[in-house]
Amino acid sequence: MNRRVSLPPMNIFAQIFYLLRKEITLEWRQKFAISGILLYVLSTVFIVYISFQNIGPQVWNVLFWVIMLFASVNAVMKSFVQESGYRQLYYFQLLHPIAILLSKMIYNSLLLLLLGGLTFVALSFVAGNPVQEAGNFALALFLGSTGFSITFTFVSAIAAKADNSSTLMAILSFPVVIPILLLLVNLSAHSIGLLSGSDVGDKISLLAAVDLMLVAMGLVLFPFLWRD
Amino acid sequence: MKKYWWKVLGVVILFYTIFVGMLTPLKTGITDASPVSLRTGRSEVLTVQGYNSFFTKEKEKLRAWLKMGSDKALAASRIEVVDDRVVRLTFDIPAYLPVEQKVKDFTLLIDSPVDGASVLPGGIVVTQDSINTALGEALWPNAEIAKLHEKAAFTFPFRNILSETIRNTYYHVPLWMAMFIILTAGMVMSVRYLWKSNPDDDRKAMALTNVGLLLGILGLITGAIWAKYTWGKFWSWDVKQNMTAIALLIYGAYFVLRGSFEDPEKKSKVSAVYNIFAFASLVPLLYIIPKLTDSLHPGAGGNIAFGSQDLDNTMKLVFRPAIIGWTLLGVWIAEIVLRSARLRDRLMEV
Amino acid sequence: MLIASKKAFATLPLLVLPLTFLLAQEDTDFMRSMGKMYVVVAVIAAIFLGIVVYLIYLDRKLTKLEDQIKNHE
Repeated sequence: MNRRVSLPPMNIFAQIFYLLRKEITLEWRQKFAISGILLYVLSTVFIVYISFQNIGPQVWNVLFWVIMLFASVNAVMKSFVQESGYRQLYYFQLLHPIAILLSKMIYNSLLLLLLGGLTFVALSFVAGNPVQEAGNFALALFLGSTGFSITFTFVSAIAAKADNSSTLMAILSFPVVIPILLLLVNLSAHSIGLLSGSDVGDKISLLAAVDLMLVAMGLVLFPFLWRD
Repeated sequence: MKKYWWKVLGVVILFYTIFVGMLTPLKTGITDASPVSLRTGRSEVLTVQGYNSFFTKEKEKLRAWLKMGSDKALAASRIEVVDDRVVRLTFDIPAYLPVEQKVKDFTLLIDSPVDGASVLPGGIVVTQDSINTALGEALWPNAEIAKLHEKAAFTFPFRNILSETIRNTYYHVPLWMAMFIILTAGMVMSVRYLWKSNPDDDRKAMALTNVGLLLGILGLITGAIWAKYTWGKFWSWDVKQNMTAIALLIYGAYFVLRGSFEDPEKKSKVSAVYNIFAFASLVPLLYIIPKLTDSLHPGAGGNIAFGSQDLDNTMKLVFRPAIIGWTLLGVWIAEIVLRSARLRDRLMEV
Repeated sequence: MLIASKKAFATLPLLVLPLTFLLAQEDTDFMRSMGKMYVVVAVIAAIFLGIVVYLIYLDRKLTKLEDQIKNHE
């Protein structure tokens, strides 16, 4: 943070955009963090591949989401936990808490979407691509990365308040995310052809509704965490 | 006394549910009929085992049918009562079935003025050698099933796999409902804490969640016992079982979170936020996900819902008070936890 | 609170699970006799046992508090 920073704008949307840009440039400058996560995904996929060798569609589906889950926790964990006290104080005085939370959530969604894409490519490379309905799968991936990002970002904000936050992060976030995970595995099973049925639309809208509700809860509750 | 009335009420209600729930007899049912498989064109004798039946009383008025759908019914040609529990029915089965299938299942129906009507749904299978639907249609009678009797006494319904365990509806299901009510109350207390910053509200949330966890664990254990003897396994990977396990994990995490703070105000605030967030992410799904996927529980995946047939009026008389009773008892326990938490916090202050 | 809640987690299932385990070991015909009536009995017993275990945990917590108060005085 040696660079001179221009004063952030007052409008919430402009603030979100400002924070998002800052987040991306920061990430770009310290490439080791993001490359670490990408390497994590690649090595997990490889470990999974050498231990299973023959991966059927059902296992593929579950493995994809489990790898995604662990990579996401690792990727998102740092969003609040690693923020230094000074920087928080600086944000606190200048920016609206909603802008802070939303920018983090959007940034993490993008990051997780990238991670999901990479996991998909890597897993398809070693174990074949069982996806039949690409559109559905992409939608599941999108809703999944936003859902994971929302939950994990918020939980990381909670965990950051405690002392041993990295352990707490997993304990707090996994049970909360299981319902979303169940829906996701179910939804992508449809796109792989493991399940058939006409209620795909229902599940997609349910997942979207859950994502929206969690964002709303996060926005309502975050100011209480932030004001401290 | 004025202060304790709701505690007394809770205990009285629970006593009532145990008393009435255990002592009320079940309706008459059919547990077994052999042979299960019959053939067309023969006169077959079925030996039927009754449950809670009194076949010897008014045995001349006993009637029995093999029923298919709503328009085919074959009356028994001869009824021989062996004793109160066993009756032998003779059916003269026509040469052809009225369906385009080799094998068809029939429902056995017995009516007695004393016991009322009892059924064995789809329990008897009739096999034919060749198919002739037209002839079968003509040969199968549609005997009139009229003036079925109702058992006069106050009884609970008889279901074949459940039999007496239908009473667990009063001891297992209300735990789950009470847990839901109490956890909701805990969440409301967390909201109130964030709103008013009164430390007592957070203690209330903690106490209620603690009891909710207890009820959840009890619900899971009782459910597992019941499942073992009706579905065959303690843990059947049923959606509701899994969702309850997840709920317990979430609230377990809540207490771990509480434990990881030194500063009481920070602890209260952060755990209240987590409580609300976790509740919001979990509870709607507890109701939606079981409806989307197959479940062994009633009310999901094509199973009959509570209220339509499984929970008849006599059962509601015990089931609904049981929910209130467990909730009141839960609040009582939570109050004790709350009082001890207050004591501890006051001790910390000094 | 951490210690207390940890104890609740550890003791509750530990003390109630042996009951179900015992029941599973027992002759299944006994549990299924009398129209599976003993399953209802087992369920009620499990609830009772669970509440008793919880009461013991509460009791111990309160005893500790009382001791602290006594030491304080």
